Amino acid sequence: MIRCDGLCLTLAHRPVLHELGWEIAPGSVWGIIGPPASGKSVLAKTLCGLFTPQQGTLHVDGTEMTRLPEPERVAVRRKMGMLFQNNALFDFLRVWENVAFPLARQDPSLSREALAARAGERLRAVGLAGSEEKWPSELSGGMKKRVGIARATICNAPVLIYDEPTAGLDPVTTSKIYDLLTDLRLRHASTVIAISSDIPALRRFVDHILFLHQGRVRYCGPEAGLEACEDPVVHQFVRGLGEGPL
Amino acid sequence: MGVVTTFANFFAAVGAPVLALCAEVGGILTLLFRVLWCLVPPRFDLDETWRNLHKMGVKSVPIIVLTAFFTGGIMVIQAAVFVKKFGATSLVGWGAGYAVFREVGPMLLGLMFSGRVGSNNTAELGTMVVTEQIDGLRALSIDPVRYLLVPRVISMIVMLFLLTILGDVVAILGAALFGTVLADVSLASFWVSFSQNLHVADVVHGLIKAAVFGFIVALTSCHFGITVKGGAVGVGRAVNNAVVAAALGIVLSDYLLTYALP
Repeated sequence: MIRCDGLCLTLAHRPVLHELGWEIAPGSVWGIIGPPASGKSVLAKTLCGLFTPQQGTLHVDGTEMTRLPEPERVAVRRKMGMLFQNNALFDFLRVWENVAFPLARQDPSLSREALAARAGERLRAVGLAGSEEKWPSELSGGMKKRVGIARATICNAPVLIYDEPTAGLDPVTTSKIYDLLTDLRLRHASTVIAISSDIPALRRFVDHILFLHQGRVRYCGPEAGLEACEDPVVHQFVRGLGEGPL
Repeated sequence: MGVVTTFANFFAAVGAPVLALCAEVGGILTLLFRVLWCLVPPRFDLDETWRNLHKMGVKSVPIIVLTAFFTGGIMVIQAAVFVKKFGATSLVGWGAGYAVFREVGPMLLGLMFSGRVGSNNTAELGTMVVTEQIDGLRALSIDPVRYLLVPRVISMIVMLFLLTILGDVVAILGAALFGTVLADVSLASFWVSFSQNLHVADVVHGLIKAAVFGFIVALTSCHFGITVKGGAVGVGRAVNNAVVAAALGIVLSDYLLTYALP
């Protein structure tokens, strides 16, 4: 479904991703973990085609993205839904309009009523019934995340990318969010890539892990094999040890 | 060796700001081409344009009316001493109209528009960059230039043009009123002086300037907003840069247009 080969990305004269190789099978659930500033969010945005790598190839559903002109990336991006780290809710749109936004772009023939109905349905699914007419500034952090998830999933895209879906949330809300993500994944059999700093919660959700450190892959494999990884950086990070190379 | 180092340091000190300036000018020109690309043929969001026309234009009316009314008044108050001294009451209407239409109206309202609408636009776009809303649009395959910037550029040009017409009218009314009260110039005398000495070209001259100023405010505010780096501090810096660049652009283009236009 998604394959990266020798992906190298430099931003503002600083190398961010080095020789990254990764293959994601359809329907699999991947977690990307690693210390801060290791390139996790940049990798997620690169998969969406928001950054263009200087070297290497990125295939999404058989289409090579890196040399694809911007207008032709549209079709590939429609196969993806993304929740951004800061939610990226549009301040100038109401909650239901935010959720319906990708749908309206994908199918301009849909009436305003049909869009509102679909958005309302999706908001009920994430536990936000009654918040349709609110503005994003009126929502709490957890509610914004849910709206972001509703927007990312409304088109039932085959690939879903969640960047920090539970950052800053309490354990109960975190658990509810992961239950919601699991439910959505099972319903639509989508391929999921999730980035999180909450390692225990993420590990319960995913079946594969990619560990990034300074833009390099330090571990790429089944979640169950992470404990056995002998890389000192992975070892220290996963166990939360004070002593080590980090 | 010391001399070489001194020269190198000198050129580095001079060169860095020059390169930074070139980068900003280049960025604004690139944005200009991208906006024009979306306009021929027109490919932009009409709903967003309508929303911006309302936000930037209708909501600016009170401040524009207030500024214009007192500007017209101030011009007559300043002139009143000399009008009385030389008995030049027959020139008050012409003087006020000529100054308002050609210079004070578009210039002052342009600067006021830059402060109110341009700075707001930069802050809004900058915040959208910082909170990943622009990335969000791109991830949804929406070109931010076409969806966000082109409607704002169109709205600012149209609205500054229309607000200048409104401002001109209000400023003339203010000048007539203050002239009657403070300089003993009757409304009839003011009107005769105004209507017999002013030409359509004077009005057109100012309105062309208004449209150009609107374009300058739009391009600078959009450029500095969309290129924000560094969070809240970056947004503050961008607003500052946008207002300064717009003011410089307005003054410089005013100078050139005054020479170029009839």
